[in-house]
Amino acid sequence: MLILKEWRLWLSLFLIFFCFYFIKPNFNDDSSTSKINFGLDIQGGYSYLLELNKDEYLDNLLIKTSQAFENDFKINSIIDQGSLFIPSNQNLEKINNILLSNMGLEIQDQSSEGTNYIISKRNFNQSLSDMTLNAVEIVRSRVDFLGNKELSIQKVGLNKILLEIPGNLDNNVKEVISKTAKLTFHLEKRSLVNSKVFKNDDTGEEIRVQEIPNLTGDYIQDASLQYNQNEPVVAFSFNKEGSNLFAQMTSENVGTRFAIVLDGALITAPVIREAITGGSGQISGGFSNESANNLAIILKSGSLPTEITIIQEKQIGPTLGKEGVKKGIYASIIALIAITLFMIIYYKISGLFTVITILSCLGLLFALMSLLNTTLTLPGVIGIVLTIGMCVDANVLIFERIRENFKMQSDNPKSDGFNAAYVTILDSNLTTLFAAVFLFAFGFGPIRGFSISLIIGIISSLIVTYIILRLFLNTTSEKYLGLNK
Amino acid sequence: MINFYSFKNKSYILSLFLIVFTIIVIFFKGLNLGIDFKGGLNFEVQTQLNNKEISQIFKIIESDREILIKKEIGSDVYTIRIESGENNPSFIEEINKIINDNPDMKILLSEYIEPTFSSELIKNSIYALASSLFVIAFYVWIRFDWQFAVSGIFALIHDVFIAIGFMSLFNIEFNLTMIAALLLIAGYSINDTIVLFDRLRNITSDENNKDSFDLNVNNSIRLNLRRTILTSFTTILALICLVVLAPVNLTEMPIVFIFGVLIGTYSSLFLALGIVGDLNYEAVLKARDS
Repeated sequence: MLILKEWRLWLSLFLIFFCFYFIKPNFNDDSSTSKINFGLDIQGGYSYLLELNKDEYLDNLLIKTSQAFENDFKINSIIDQGSLFIPSNQNLEKINNILLSNMGLEIQDQSSEGTNYIISKRNFNQSLSDMTLNAVEIVRSRVDFLGNKELSIQKVGLNKILLEIPGNLDNNVKEVISKTAKLTFHLEKRSLVNSKVFKNDDTGEEIRVQEIPNLTGDYIQDASLQYNQNEPVVAFSFNKEGSNLFAQMTSENVGTRFAIVLDGALITAPVIREAITGGSGQISGGFSNESANNLAIILKSGSLPTEITIIQEKQIGPTLGKEGVKKGIYASIIALIAITLFMIIYYKISGLFTVITILSCLGLLFALMSLLNTTLTLPGVIGIVLTIGMCVDANVLIFERIRENFKMQSDNPKSDGFNAAYVTILDSNLTTLFAAVFLFAFGFGPIRGFSISLIIGIISSLIVTYIILRLFLNTTSEKYLGLNK
Repeated sequence: MINFYSFKNKSYILSLFLIVFTIIVIFFKGLNLGIDFKGGLNFEVQTQLNNKEISQIFKIIESDREILIKKEIGSDVYTIRIESGENNPSFIEEINKIINDNPDMKILLSEYIEPTFSSELIKNSIYALASSLFVIAFYVWIRFDWQFAVSGIFALIHDVFIAIGFMSLFNIEFNLTMIAALLLIAGYSINDTIVLFDRLRNITSDENNKDSFDLNVNNSIRLNLRRTILTSFTTILALICLVVLAPVNLTEMPIVFIFGVLIGTYSSLFLALGIVGDLNYEAVLKARDS
């Protein structure tokens, strides 16, 4: 048997095995990671794109740097519009290039009065990106505590977080993710120097307190919803360090009022009746069950480094997703049948080979998508349609070239035709492939979805035409191909 | 046999006309920018109410935001687009409540985009498009000659630009998904053009070939004509199936793409090789022969 000597036969069989092996997990219910995920536009759900405040983060970073100068080198500095000004009358001996680069600073301008430093762009971006990664974990833990199992959360760009949750809308999610949750404790202060007034808008309660907090929520270890005389309250406990600080603060100030402030708004301002040494406390203040639970979750997860803005939100009803997909798949199948019927009518046996090539191209495409755990979105489906188009085009190019060779009575029409056409196919497909790679690297959302399926599709198409289509052409006698007239 | 090369001046005029026409249309009609590029709110609702009744419902909200209500053809789905303005978060809550409380309306999809983010999306899309154009030009330049790179990129931009004009003329919404459609047209266009480039290179590299440049161009097109027509035909056949059967919010895309396939076929048959000729590729060939 000549066909058994054809290496393409064995490779084809391997490809078929490969496809089945990697597509199979999609039909099992187990939690295999090699599966095609469906985008929200296909399965329904909701998503938020969150942006962390860059400017606020820059300010925080400058404050930190300024404090470091003061604590480590006794240098006073002034923060002014995104830069740090160090007057020339300070002790500048310790400032050198190595120190500056360690602190990520570079000189913006210099005058006889002093030097303006800014945080170098590279350093700032790196630091911003790390901060966002940290924020991703905080947001994840907040949404996790609400009991959402299948959420997908990822960092996008430098300071954005994309949160996608399949299923029905849960309004609590929006509430817990959009709060910064900076919890601070301030002791009352009557003097106007370095003090600040916080107000509770609901109750009208007001208190003047020391501006710099005595204690922050960063030390909170656990928080939960509890009931005090049937009213929901948030109970919290500090970690060891926080417990000590809290004990010290309360024991030194018995009889004084202090403010509990969340994100700049006063929650309550109780009087310290006795030293609290147990390291735990309660916040009450007109909570509902839900809002107390949400606050507990937020406190438990920690505060976000900066304020967060929801810059995009999307909610796709499951009916639209399902109906859209059903109709989309239906339409694609009809389109596929139309193409294959046309190819069979036009090219007869060769047309049948095209059908098999397209099907194996789709098989390989889905296998690779499962293997890479890709998310399939509607623009992705469009990319697949283009892939099929390119696969058909490759077939047509090859058949026409072979037909041409038959006409010119060349010695080896099948193989020469295939090779000549394959160069063209490579050129045109690689151009598209490179363009798609760049689109994937720079694009966002739908553009990425489109380009990833196009990239995988082109690779699949190139492989199956070279192996499976060629196998059929090689092993079929010229008179059956129907290309010799 | 049609002498394709002799049509090149006529097709320059036709293309010039199309480009000017597109500029005029975009200038006077503008692009129907979706919320992806303008920011704002977008709803798709399923309802038996008519346009007037829906706008009545939205009149309750006191706001000077522009509200656009459009019925999707052949369905009971309406698209409602609302401009963004001040204090968006509370506005979204209000609108959501109004629609949810109305028993006659069912939300299929709701979407909000902050205007600052949409301007970032525009920038991002332009980056993505520009970088992939650059990569295409670079690859074609490496594999062929600079004349081909210039001509291929020109044909590509020509096709995409006129397709944008088509969208403006028929008031088709311009959003991120439509960017994907334009990319599809770009991919199709460059594919089609490169197949012809490849053939021309193949023919002219034959040392025994003493034919004139015009004849070589015509031969390249003639030998590929059947393939070009077959591919365009099968693509359009598939697209017509999509137009007829696809879900309502996806019908506009294949329509734009059908137009793109037609314009792409035109540009590769009548424009691309003409430009290569006018960039004096002949001289390159002569230099190589001698």
